[in-house]
Amino acid sequence: MYDEMFQADGEVRPPYASLNAHISKLSPAELGDRQKTLERSFLLQGITFTVYGADSTTERIIPTDLFPRIIDAATWARIETGLQQRLHALNLFLADIYGRQSAIKDGVVPRELVLGAPSYRREMMDLYVPHAAYANVCGSDLIRNETGEVMVLEDNLRVPSGVSYMLANREASKRTFPDAFGAARVRPIENYPDLLLSTLKSMASEWRASPQVVLMTPGVYNSAYYEHAYLARLMGVPLVEGRDLVVHDNMVYMRTTQGLRRVDVIYRRVDDDFIDPLTFRRDSALGVAGLFNAYRSGSVVIANAPGTGVADDKAVYAFVPALIRYYLAEDPILPNVETYLCREPAQLQHTLQNLDKLVVKAVGASGGYGMLVGPHATQKQREDFAEHIKADPANYISQPTLKLSTAPCLIDGRVEPRHVDLRPFILSGAKTVVTPGALTRVALTKGSLVVNSSQGGGSKDTWVLTDDVEEHAHGKDMVQ
Amino acid sequence: MMLARVADSLYWIGRYIERAEHFCRLSDVMLNAAVDRTDSARQAARIAMSAIDEDHVDPNVAIERPADTVRNLVFDRHDNASVYTSLARARENARQVRDQITTETWERLNLLYLRVTGPGAEAAYEQSPLAFLQEIIADLHLFKGAADATMSHGEGWRFLLTGVYLERAQLIARLLDVCFGDAAGGYLLNDHFAQLSVLRMACALEPYLRVYTAEMQPRLLMQFLLFDEEFPRSIRFCAARVQEHLTRLTRSADVVDGPSPERIAGRLSARLEFAEFDEVAQFGASAYLATIVQECARIHEAVYEAFVAYPLEQRLPA
Repeated sequence: MYDEMFQADGEVRPPYASLNAHISKLSPAELGDRQKTLERSFLLQGITFTVYGADSTTERIIPTDLFPRIIDAATWARIETGLQQRLHALNLFLADIYGRQSAIKDGVVPRELVLGAPSYRREMMDLYVPHAAYANVCGSDLIRNETGEVMVLEDNLRVPSGVSYMLANREASKRTFPDAFGAARVRPIENYPDLLLSTLKSMASEWRASPQVVLMTPGVYNSAYYEHAYLARLMGVPLVEGRDLVVHDNMVYMRTTQGLRRVDVIYRRVDDDFIDPLTFRRDSALGVAGLFNAYRSGSVVIANAPGTGVADDKAVYAFVPALIRYYLAEDPILPNVETYLCREPAQLQHTLQNLDKLVVKAVGASGGYGMLVGPHATQKQREDFAEHIKADPANYISQPTLKLSTAPCLIDGRVEPRHVDLRPFILSGAKTVVTPGALTRVALTKGSLVVNSSQGGGSKDTWVLTDDVEEHAHGKDMVQ
Repeated sequence: MMLARVADSLYWIGRYIERAEHFCRLSDVMLNAAVDRTDSARQAARIAMSAIDEDHVDPNVAIERPADTVRNLVFDRHDNASVYTSLARARENARQVRDQITTETWERLNLLYLRVTGPGAEAAYEQSPLAFLQEIIADLHLFKGAADATMSHGEGWRFLLTGVYLERAQLIARLLDVCFGDAAGGYLLNDHFAQLSVLRMACALEPYLRVYTAEMQPRLLMQFLLFDEEFPRSIRFCAARVQEHLTRLTRSADVVDGPSPERIAGRLSARLEFAEFDEVAQFGASAYLATIVQECARIHEAVYEAFVAYPLEQRLPA
């Protein structure tokens, strides 16, 4: 098992030296107090999600751990280039499958696997997307295996969330460990809203002088509503719901106090299915009738583009290394986790025979649902799940159960290791930028490998350390 | 320029905030009055209950068990008029326009909401009802102060304040009607303690004393709450602010047809500015106050028509 903070011999890893020096001066009671202060500040800021009960509704904060997770500059450089490479290839893949489909014709990826994916949108065929940037906002889930190697577990190209927690955790950890933060020389992430806005603006037509960007939310009852409001506020753009928008003559307008105003870019946090009842789901009350036609006519940009989900499909995932080689003629910098496709008879056989060692995931599901963690399941659960797999093999993939790396967390007043993953955020428009920070998700239940907030996961801040060389260069710029 | 839905929410935050504050103050005065179990105290309790529109609460019961009565008024989540409901709705609206209000403003309201709806709320109330109410009132003042000091004094802020002042005008009109209207049976409110209580309910005691000294007269009291130019809770003052904000809001809105909210507000404001107290006697207090309340309702509708629910075909860009 790889621990982020401690080596196998118990020594503290170098990036954690300053944090360790500060923490070891604090008593458990003092740590507990800081944890409480942290939680209180989240509650007051309203960084909560709503739990609907039979009688009353309550609001809870996403559990947040006070110890940051720290990544040194060299590791980060590899993650950064690896993610840029990967997103570049995935955007080329999307442009391809919604265009000439050469990867399919050349046999790199099976036709039915792509065109048959539930997230494939035929409506997107032959549509011009500026910079071929289909996925403007991407949040990839990375993990470290037993040897400490960073791997990609999942790509999220639909409406990835969590970036507000990254920013809120940073605010909090600066207050919790100000000295350690200063001493560690952490790279700033506070310009994320700025970068997001310029990414979105870079998608607008060039002849629109100052494009009107809006953020579209499903509304206040969505569990990520806090994030939507947070980003809209920090970008300074209107936070709209479907009912605020109207389409007239293939132009999108928002209803303002001064009449209708043209909208150029919609950063939508609403799933494909719900953005336009005329094109996608008819029963959607969240969307805007006629929005997709307006999009096709080129008068408005939807970000991320509809249909990006096919590139983060769990079966397509297995082909991403091949796609990187195919489009970029480069070797993948960040490896995939070994994946068996149950649609292939031999791999199905392997999966069924090794259910007690594997993690099985439904292709279309996300958020930790529809998933079997073989080693942690009972015999009965495995047998039941095997029936599901046999009934619809194409819907499942399996992967070896990975020992995610652990990081120390404060659990009931004691410091204990918990499994963590890493979700960095990549923006792609005219340029592709990886924010030097991430959301570290924590499986708070002892031994658990499931980090999703819907399944009892929490989060912690992630410090990416400054590279000395880079900083000197930066200092020189400032002098000049 | 802001989203129509957002303007509507800000306007309603203003209304709910004002309502919550007024009801806290009425409850506070009633709890204070109940300490003396005199007829005058009963009078004050009756006025407070009627002004809250809780006709089903018997003032005698309210006097006997004031803390219980007020607890229901504050915490009943099924009662549209309760402080709990007002604050929960204000906060729900604020959550929907979280991107439009400053963090300072939002956190003040969120704190208030947590205090009134949180698990320890009723226990805190039991411990000291008066302190509990006064803290809410103080926090509501902080909310308004934070809005004033940190929000841009632009469109959003004006919608918020339009809500505050329109609600306040209606609440004060209702309080005056209870004291001086026909339903009061021509009762002249000549009891000194009741007069003091009414001034406290309008948060007007000290400002009144500065103008009219300790000489309490029902006529002066009504004149002060209706027509004083400088007191921020007189109906005239409220109407003038509503007019001021709507004038600025309408200037950029390009209202095509229908009654302009600015004009209705201007008419009400002018009427109050140049009114003489004898007119009130002439019309009868109830009729006079009813006209004011009606005009407020018309302003409310006109705001909605002009800024929120306008017909789309008239407002398409050329």
